[in-house]
Amino acid sequence: MVIAAAVCPWPPALAAELTGPDADIQRLRDACAQAVGRLVRTRPDLVAVIGPAQVTRTWAPDSRLDLSVFAPAPGPASALAGARSTGQSGARSGDPALPPSLGIGALLLDQAGYSAPGRRVLQAVAEDEAPAACAELGAAIGSSSRRVGLLVMGDGSARRSPRAPGHLDPRAAAFDAGTERALRQADFHALLAMSPGMASELMATGRPAWQVLAGALRETRATTDVLYSDAPFGVGYLVAYLQPAAEPTAAEPMAAEPTAAEPTAAEPTAGPPQPTARPAPAPGREASR
Amino acid sequence: MAIVNRTPDSFFQPGVTWDEQAAMERVHAAVAQGADIIDVGGVPAHPGNVVDVAEEIRRVVPFIAAVHEAYPDTVISVDTWRHEVAGEACAAGAGLINDSWGGWDSQLAEVAAGAGAGLVCAHAGGQAPRTRPFRVAYQDVTADVLDQVVPLAERAVVAGVEPSRVLIDPAHDFGKNTWHSLEVTRRLADLVATGWPVLVSVSRKDFIGETLGLGVDDRQTGSLATAAICAWLGGRVFRVHDVAQTRQVLDMVSAIRGDLAPSHPIRGMV
Repeated sequence: MVIAAAVCPWPPALAAELTGPDADIQRLRDACAQAVGRLVRTRPDLVAVIGPAQVTRTWAPDSRLDLSVFAPAPGPASALAGARSTGQSGARSGDPALPPSLGIGALLLDQAGYSAPGRRVLQAVAEDEAPAACAELGAAIGSSSRRVGLLVMGDGSARRSPRAPGHLDPRAAAFDAGTERALRQADFHALLAMSPGMASELMATGRPAWQVLAGALRETRATTDVLYSDAPFGVGYLVAYLQPAAEPTAAEPMAAEPTAAEPTAAEPTAGPPQPTARPAPAPGREASR
Repeated sequence: MAIVNRTPDSFFQPGVTWDEQAAMERVHAAVAQGADIIDVGGVPAHPGNVVDVAEEIRRVVPFIAAVHEAYPDTVISVDTWRHEVAGEACAAGAGLINDSWGGWDSQLAEVAAGAGAGLVCAHAGGQAPRTRPFRVAYQDVTADVLDQVVPLAERAVVAGVEPSRVLIDPAHDFGKNTWHSLEVTRRLADLVATGWPVLVSVSRKDFIGETLGLGVDDRQTGSLATAAICAWLGGRVFRVHDVAQTRQVLDMVSAIRGDLAPSHPIRGMV
């Protein structure tokens, strides 16, 4: 059962090593940290990072973003085309690299202090995956454990302004507004109805990932907090936190439909996070705020 | 290679040579300052107002004809990815086709061969013309550059382009972020080692601005520093806005390398 979901964009610039000081990116980092922090504090027993990529497949849970694909580090003078720079993850040359959408998601989880070993799923969804397949994948992930947290990586249109990576498309703002509206209203049917063709034309990477989210929560009510919604670089960035309503299980029929705040008789509630002792900081790391 | 943009909206000094007289004055100055090649382009690299084939021809071809008449011994390059434009430009006197988009138009090599013109084979990371890079990633950007430009160069020769007229260009910032552009600069020797002469086009570009935190009007020093490094590493042709300064940089580097005698050494020997 999905107990919480965070929605974040995945510009590589979120990795502080890749970009210098930038107020807009820092605001975005702060919002992502807030959303992911809330997700982690619900104490899921599994976090599934969902992100768009070339192929639908999972990646090893300990995979990490190889920053060198965006920022090659200087190496010894190389002979010719045979030389390869080694990734900071130590990936062997020739290994396919972890899709950056998942890499940024993994980074956000690390930064939020989520270190439960082996309780992380990195799920890539093909950019052209059909909505129905996305929904099915979401439903499977959502029911794969008792307390699933979803970290859904995806961006709105990269065509929001003349200086955007994709230049300006006048349809882009309305498209992104539609996504935000659907998330705010927890209207998962609207998300599932999103057109892959239009999303692709508008360079909105988030479409398949949002549809996985929608499949996981399809028959669920949820409340949404939108923590960030802007396009400072012409790419629509949306940061949101979704709290699904507690669901009765099939084996425990309820007399009255529970609301988000009411605990059910036997199921643990997915309500407000319980205060927990802060984990001791790992050596060399600052304690999380 | 002196840049003369026949556009109203290029990224540096937009419109400065949009007027044909201003453009010709720029050519006179460039030649006087030591430019070996005049590079004429009619379409900016960034997205914006559409410039179709007819408009691009209108912007560059008559001007190329005028430059050729004024300077019959100066090489003129046409900055275009389109074979139709290249064909007309070569007929008007262009001797080199400067394609920054990596052979997007597969007929370009044939046109160059047919006209007896040279061809620049560049790496644009597979991007369509007039698009910006979006989260572009490379396992090894220099290897990717070589994997693109060397086959392009070889194909050009097979198509009939004179081998001595083929250049390769890593095309800084085309399909590359700042880190990638710095890396291909650092590894320019790998391109030089292929044996194909290397064209370096870094003048005023964003990777210099992002390195130094400077706007486009303040990037001359960074551009000259980068040109010096690329010249030291073996770059052969330098596409620039600031001709006089770059001429000095290249001559200085050539002298340091031992490829050019200093013009008047006498101090300490009288």
